Amino acid sequence: MQEFLQQVVNGLTIGSIYALVALGYTMVYGILKLINFAHGELFMIGSFLAFTLIVSANLMEHIPHPVAGLVAVFLLVALMVAVIGLILERVAYRPLRRSSRLAPLVSALGASIFLQNAIMLVYGGGYLVFPENLVPNIEWSVGGINIGLMRVIILALSISLMLFLYLLVQKTRLGAAMRACSLDHDTARLMGINVDRIIALVFVIGPALGAIAGIMVGMYYRQINFTMGWAYGLRAFTAAILGGIGNIPGAMVGGLLLGILETIGAGYVAAAWKDVVAFIILILILILRPTGLLGERVAEKV
Amino acid sequence: MLKKLLVVMVAAALVVAAAGCAGGGKSDTIKIGVQGPISGDWALEGQGFVKAVTMLAEQINAKGGLLGKKIEIVQGDDKGDPKEASLVAQKMVSSKVIAVLGAYNSSATEPAAGIYNEAKILHITPSSTATKLTEKGYKMFFRTCFLDNRQGMFAADFIVNTLGKKKVALIHDNTTYAKGLADWTEKFLKEKGATVVFNDAITPKEKDFTSTLTKIKGLDPEVIYFTGYFSEGGLLLRQARELGIKAVFMAGDANNNPDFVKNAGLEAAKGAIITTLPLPQDLPYKEAKQFIADYKAKYGKEPESIWTLTMADAFRVVVEAIEKTKSTDPVKLAEYLHTQLKDFPGITGPITFDEKGDRLGSVHTAYVVNEKGEFVLYKKQ
Amino acid sequence: MSRGWHNWDPRYLKLAYLALGVGAVAYPFLANTYWIDVANFFGIYVLLGLSLNIIVGYVGLFNLGQAAFYAVGAYSTAILNTAFHIPVLWLLPLSGLLAALMGYLISRPILHLRGDYLCIVTIGFGEIMRITLNNNPFGLTGGPNGIMGIARPEILGFRLFQPHHYYYFIWLIVLLTVIALKRLENSRIGRAWHYIREDELAAAAMGIDVNRMKLLAFMLGAGLAGVAGNIYATKMTVIAPESFSFWESVVMFTIVVLGGPGSIPGVVVGTLCMVVLPELFREFAKARMLVFGLAMILMMIFRPEGLWPARRYREEIRSAKEELPAGQKPETLSGA
Repeated sequence: MQEFLQQVVNGLTIGSIYALVALGYTMVYGILKLINFAHGELFMIGSFLAFTLIVSANLMEHIPHPVAGLVAVFLLVALMVAVIGLILERVAYRPLRRSSRLAPLVSALGASIFLQNAIMLVYGGGYLVFPENLVPNIEWSVGGINIGLMRVIILALSISLMLFLYLLVQKTRLGAAMRACSLDHDTARLMGINVDRIIALVFVIGPALGAIAGIMVGMYYRQINFTMGWAYGLRAFTAAILGGIGNIPGAMVGGLLLGILETIGAGYVAAAWKDVVAFIILILILILRPTGLLGERVAEKV
Repeated sequence: MLKKLLVVMVAAALVVAAAGCAGGGKSDTIKIGVQGPISGDWALEGQGFVKAVTMLAEQINAKGGLLGKKIEIVQGDDKGDPKEASLVAQKMVSSKVIAVLGAYNSSATEPAAGIYNEAKILHITPSSTATKLTEKGYKMFFRTCFLDNRQGMFAADFIVNTLGKKKVALIHDNTTYAKGLADWTEKFLKEKGATVVFNDAITPKEKDFTSTLTKIKGLDPEVIYFTGYFSEGGLLLRQARELGIKAVFMAGDANNNPDFVKNAGLEAAKGAIITTLPLPQDLPYKEAKQFIADYKAKYGKEPESIWTLTMADAFRVVVEAIEKTKSTDPVKLAEYLHTQLKDFPGITGPITFDEKGDRLGSVHTAYVVNEKGEFVLYKKQ
Repeated sequence: MSRGWHNWDPRYLKLAYLALGVGAVAYPFLANTYWIDVANFFGIYVLLGLSLNIIVGYVGLFNLGQAAFYAVGAYSTAILNTAFHIPVLWLLPLSGLLAALMGYLISRPILHLRGDYLCIVTIGFGEIMRITLNNNPFGLTGGPNGIMGIARPEILGFRLFQPHHYYYFIWLIVLLTVIALKRLENSRIGRAWHYIREDELAAAAMGIDVNRMKLLAFMLGAGLAGVAGNIYATKMTVIAPESFSFWESVVMFTIVVLGGPGSIPGVVVGTLCMVVLPELFREFAKARMLVFGLAMILMMIFRPEGLWPARRYREEIRSAKEELPAGQKPETLSGA
């Protein structure tokens, strides 16, 4: 039982990262019906930019308090990646908004290849290692379950960001506008909503959240490389589908669930088969309930 | 429709043909190929290959070259992928190299070895340790690294006799190299009466291994021996300590990299043991000291890994063969390496090849991470 | 654009065919082994592109897991040849059939899924396939090392092993496939696929068994990819899971979309861009993929219908103002 609980805790940490990244996929899909394959790269770029700020620019030493320094890193990187997200939307997706559904998919794959290789050219092909002690090395053991401070930060920060986003979408006028756009662009426009602005907003929030996930991966695992966007992106996308794509709480539930499924798969089946377990469950869910766990049921054609 | 198809076919044929006719070469140089993952996940290793060989070739060319000819290095980037490797190999054959050094990983070396052997080109890998590579009777194939089983033998002996431990968990990453090493170690451990409570894979390029480690924690081993690569090794070690696992952590020679300690963090890395060929700076040979000094002077950093040095040795062996035989005929060179070369003073120790092209001997040893995070030779207390 | 070609004098056409034929036959005598081998991979990827074109181009089903069928063909050839010494040429149709069977098993339960969902399920199957190959179940697939020592094909006692042998072998199969597919396009099945692509509901109303037609497309596409897998395995004599990764599926998908979905010349052009052009720029190894990604984006912006679109789709894609089909309720950004 103790081992099982430890696995669940392990899974929650992994899953909250997936969930943060999944939010970016699900928001873009909700509004544009586009799988933004480049989103995983934005997550990856977040961790590389954080590396530059912390290691190359030595930002932390210019700021008196370490916590303030970290907050500055998070904000700056989120901002920079949001700008990259905006540029991506403007260059690679906006010109294609009226074309068939295949074209944006290929454009997204192209953007993903471009960003990945751009990072490889700038930072090189190897692993970069984040410094130690960005966060003090504190560990707790509660009833035989071990958890470190950084894991607690990951869990707390992701869950608060998700709550924040949920409230934004559900309780504010801006959120209402976003929901309206996801239903129907033209009607939303008739209601006086600036659809382009809402789409731009989605390409600010999603990449910013992805970037924060990227920084946390850099800080916790402390090892980043230019190919990690694919791996996390694919999982996060799976998580978004699992929860029901286009559905914000769905992405959160899907992410956490996928994380737990993975650790339990690794712990009780075999580590090498854990992705197979995750994908089989995904496929079963799609066959039995094609819109994911929390999505509304819609058939291909009525 | 068919007409369109025709037009496109003609266009395609023209492009390919135009490309095909380009090329050709001069023969007033001795061409030596370097093949490896110059881009992709193992880009640093591949770039280390190129740097090492380029430097040595420049040194020789500065002294007037070999047999009065300059050495020309031909690079081939296989990204570590078998398909790319076979294309690179065909390209090497077309560009008339006499020898090719490389392919980093065994699955890229494999298809290339067949092509080079068919084309009668000398082929030396510095780092592909899969046993079966030398089992096919290829006359042109050699390696300057040691087989996986030598290290497994050393690791098992070290665990049982030096550390005095009996209960071991083995972790690999399903790659040829790591799984081979784990299985050899298991075999030798069992022969010595130790028990292996776990021998299974983690997925390389992942970052979170807590689920596997939680499982291992429940099995309570005295030693954990990880046979994969440093990028996962450091993470495994730190996550093991975070989960409160107290077992001795040992890792195979692919963890012989400063990033292993950086990844693990000093606190966790202290006391971790690595089985490996001696580190570049610990190699007692004067050739090694010279090479490392030159490398630092030229590139401003230490060699990437031990494979940079075995690559340098591969190159030096070829040069030696050319000088001794006064020939650039690859078949003669291979013949010389098989039969004549004895205890050639390599950067990584004396080099002798057996009839299969494997390097004889073994210089494996154990290192421990000290208080400052440096690898120091392990001494029994 | 196309009007000009259709008005060609038949004499020129014959001449051009002759020139192409002579050029293709003479190519191995003009190029060195490296470029012959590039032409061989070109041929294999044309086959793969054609196979996915049946699924994505003709019927409009998004499939990003085609590498799984390619892998089934390659691995069934490798396993049956190395374990039971069945000649690889006999395995050519057999590996196609096995891949088609796999296509049936995989697509049967998921055909009712909508475009993007189908896409993600096929990604899932592709990944499951790759991981399974990597994990060496029952010692069959050799794990990450893959399987080596696959035999070469022998035709009437003549063993194919040189690049130029393969060149003729591969391009003969490409030629036969193209002829077969041309006939298929204009057959009852081909037209049924086309209707499904245009409007599934209307197609069903006209009495087309939509699910059976989709299944058929999946099986044919999978089978052809399996054949390509067989050729790849015997050409390389060693196969490993890396060669069947998600990236391979992306390459095939991009070949189809770049060239123009549903267009056979499009597949050839797409393959030229995806497989041959990067080889030309191998010297700029590090930057070529960067340029390549950028080119994909620009292509979609300035020529979304593909480089060589099938005539019947061109108008539609250019003018299409993508709307969700009538009666379909989109997903919502909702909290419920």
